[in-house]
Amino acid sequence: MKRRHTPGRTALLMIVALLLGALLAPAVARGQDGGLDERTREVAKRLNCPTCAGRNLADCPTDTCAQWKAEITAQLKAGKSEAEVTDYFISRFGAGVLQEPPRQGGYLLAWAFPVILFIALCVAAFAVARRALRKEPAPVVPAAGSDPYLDALERDVQEG
Amino acid sequence: MKKLPLPAVLGLAVGAGLLALFVLGLIASGNQGRRPEVGKPAPEVTLTLYEGYRAGLPSTVTLASLRGKPVVLNFWASWCIPCRDEAPAFEAVWRKYRDRVVFLGANYLEVEAAALPYLAQNEITYANGFDLQQQVSRAYRITGVPETFFIDRDGVLRAIEIRPMSVADLEANLQALLK
Repeated sequence: MKRRHTPGRTALLMIVALLLGALLAPAVARGQDGGLDERTREVAKRLNCPTCAGRNLADCPTDTCAQWKAEITAQLKAGKSEAEVTDYFISRFGAGVLQEPPRQGGYLLAWAFPVILFIALCVAAFAVARRALRKEPAPVVPAAGSDPYLDALERDVQEG
Repeated sequence: MKKLPLPAVLGLAVGAGLLALFVLGLIASGNQGRRPEVGKPAPEVTLTLYEGYRAGLPSTVTLASLRGKPVVLNFWASWCIPCRDEAPAFEAVWRKYRDRVVFLGANYLEVEAAALPYLAQNEITYANGFDLQQQVSRAYRITGVPETFFIDRDGVLRAIEIRPMSVADLEANLQALLK
């Protein structure tokens, strides 16, 4: 029996295909990174590729990154903790290898600044709003000669 | 003195913070300063030499400690094909001039597991080490590898070569240094 392809069935198939793709994507990505074990991946995710600006070490396929990942694996297998391996890369290549600035010394400014900026903007907005609300509207006094009716009324009052 | 309104004070504080972050970023990325100039004193070098690749030098060598002899400073990496191509020329010229010139190989951003097999495969015997925390490569503002710096016996930078070097290239530069 010949099956009919209805728009509803096509849409359903597309949704199933998209869901399957979304489910399988992480597994495919893991396959492409040379099958890094979970602990190596965790350490590598915290480090930058040394030759590609800003790129995560875990996701970078260059030769240097492959060497660094192999070194991470070797050090973990030798019994070092993830923190010790990270410290090795910092001591050897500098704090610039970290994906995020360390939470110490002058680098704290990088972490604190967005919070300080947000608070400063809130305080400034509050101060401006309070000043605007405090100012009472000035009484509107029509300038002399601007209204003939008022001028006549003024004259009548003065003449009694 | 007239007191500044609060929004102006906050604006100035935010501006100062942004400037501080900018300066911090420049320092962290090593972009302070310019490439060293030929004819001027060469930036200081501190290299931690690999075990077996010290050529009679101490485990940590500085440029200041080598005053009196010309120095050839070469940046390299094991994945760099031009570095591999020029390696035999460096070794040959080092063997010829070893009593009069110091050769220093500085590995760029690699771990020993990658650097040491490269040195062994290329039968390198002159002093080689790693650049702790990228201080030397940043001071010399290298843009890639290989790059070679020729420093005279007084510590003055005499030539910069941003290309693979042949025996003839190396000897021409050394003759100028040894005059």
